[in-house]
Amino acid sequence: MVDVVLDAQHLTKVYGARRGGEPVRALNDVSVSLERGRTLGIVGESGCGKSTLARLLVGLETPTSGDLRIDSRQIEAGGRGAARALARRIQLVFQDPFSSLDPRMTVEKVLHEVLTVHSLHEGARGARVSELLAMVGLSARFATRYPHELSGGQAQRVAIARALAVEPEIVVLDEPTSALDVSVRAEIINLLVRIQDELRLSYVFISHDLSMVRHISDDIAVMYLGRVVEQGRYDQVFVTPLHPYTVALADAIPVPDPRHERSRAAAGVASVALRTEAVAQGCAYAPRCALVQDRCRGAVPALSEKSEGHRVACFVALDESR
Amino acid sequence: MSGPLLEIRDLHIGIARRHRNDEIVRGVDLAIEAGEKWGIVGESGSGKTLTMLSVLRLLASPPLSVLRGEIRFDGEDLAHVDDRRLREVRGGDIAMVYQDPMTSLNPLLRVGRQLEETLKAHGASPAQAQARTRDVLRQVGLSDPERVRTSYPHQLSGGMIQRVMIAMALATSPRVLIADEPTTALDVTIQRQILELVTALQASTGMAVLWVTHDLGVVASLVDKVAVMYAGRIVEKAHTTRLFEHPTHPYTKALLESLPGAGSAHRSALHQIGSTPPDPTRLGAGCPFRERCPYAVDQCASSEPALMDRGQGSFAACWKEPSQW
Repeated sequence: MVDVVLDAQHLTKVYGARRGGEPVRALNDVSVSLERGRTLGIVGESGCGKSTLARLLVGLETPTSGDLRIDSRQIEAGGRGAARALARRIQLVFQDPFSSLDPRMTVEKVLHEVLTVHSLHEGARGARVSELLAMVGLSARFATRYPHELSGGQAQRVAIARALAVEPEIVVLDEPTSALDVSVRAEIINLLVRIQDELRLSYVFISHDLSMVRHISDDIAVMYLGRVVEQGRYDQVFVTPLHPYTVALADAIPVPDPRHERSRAAAGVASVALRTEAVAQGCAYAPRCALVQDRCRGAVPALSEKSEGHRVACFVALDESR
Repeated sequence: MSGPLLEIRDLHIGIARRHRNDEIVRGVDLAIEAGEKWGIVGESGSGKTLTMLSVLRLLASPPLSVLRGEIRFDGEDLAHVDDRRLREVRGGDIAMVYQDPMTSLNPLLRVGRQLEETLKAHGASPAQAQARTRDVLRQVGLSDPERVRTSYPHQLSGGMIQRVMIAMALATSPRVLIADEPTTALDVTIQRQILELVTALQASTGMAVLWVTHDLGVVASLVDKVAVMYAGRIVEKAHTTRLFEHPTHPYTKALLESLPGAGSAHRSALHQIGSTPPDPTRLGAGCPFRERCPYAVDQCASSEPALMDRGQGSFAACWKEPSQW
């Protein structure tokens, strides 16, 4: 039987209508599940709801409706104790390590604090801090440094060490490499893969960097304006993408090969609509879609299985017999 | 006399610290011909942005200052022109687009007014400025220029704002456009649109374009030539296809290998450059890349190589030729 460690069903998050404005449906009926020891990649552009999803998964916010389970146990909203218990099992690593580390705390103190809050390793915290640093590939001399004395890659390692300090089962990584130099990205990705294998962690890897998502993920969910529009194994989604939006995303990945790119640039398309306008009804991607048909503007296509494990929310893709 | 359109010669930039002045750009030479497309590639701290800012005399001084070197635009030494001429060049002949478009516009002024101000500063009448603004907004693919013109920055998306910034840069028909990581803050599909837009505009106007970026992959399609910077110096200069197929500096090779390409196996270890870039203020003698270089020999610790001709238009600052790696 499949060992599902994290299961989110029909998550919806509506942000309130302030000053009489329209409420914003940041997340609309999103269902994802994560198998133990695997990585679920979430891709999409800003405003697609991927960071909202991250915040719901780790309990920083509560869904308007929907159901969240970790190890088949329902997560109840509210209460300090509940939040702390949840934090032990699922941790979040943010995009910008510098803004998620307190500038006035040394690396040692940052890690120490987490252990204290969760009453872990009492009496042996110093040893645990060294162990955590070693785990993320930092030597002991980093313990006494402040965030401003670290490079971007080192700071992100500290943020990862802090997440690992509570021995979580699941780590949600929200754009963990986007703020880093290209040469440092590879290091962090390699580190994440290594500690995942060592500690049998399960990851939710959120990014708009598709080449990284493709590299690290076992399964991928593509999001567009608050909904999952395609879902499947990494190779299904990237080798045989079904949704026109996934196709556009895959096309936009810069290929580090001048010859390849030149041929594509030569065939380059003119500008397309820039705004992702909220559509009153029908498929949210319809205004940008090259394959749009009348029915797309009438109803929202449901996420449906096209081939085993590969699901898509597109009338046109579902019709085509491939 | 016809020389390069923009020429940087032996540029050194220093940063003043409490008791000393550290050199952080250490002798950059670059010659850009009219209409050429260049990629200036390097990690943060490599000096790429400082080099570009110094072209327009925009270095934050103090603590930064040009220690020595020359910057010539069309033969004219920009270090010695008066303020009036400098303002003509800045945003006129040479325009720049910055990384974070949201912080480059005044949030309290309508977009149109900000564009028109630039044009008026360069001698247009109010009516001309307004007409030109509409033109350039249309030129950058904004379908409703009148609406954009009368909007405040927060009413536009990131992609639209970056188009506005490009429109602003293009409004004065510059001969050189410096684009400093103009797409890093944008989503991938928008990024692609902006890259294609600038490429199309370059083709129609014939301006020279300098893309400043840390991501070699992004510029692969866009540029004719690439200069790779490391620790305040250019370590490799080459035609783009040559650079990608036959890198002649170990740092370039490592950068290319660290990109997850179609060729790298799923979840396999990506090539990493290892350790961290050196502190540019504490370099000492020798090649600054030697600590991270798999091919370093004794000589690399004692003296720093200058750019050497590697044939077929490639130049590399490395003691060892690729055949000796």
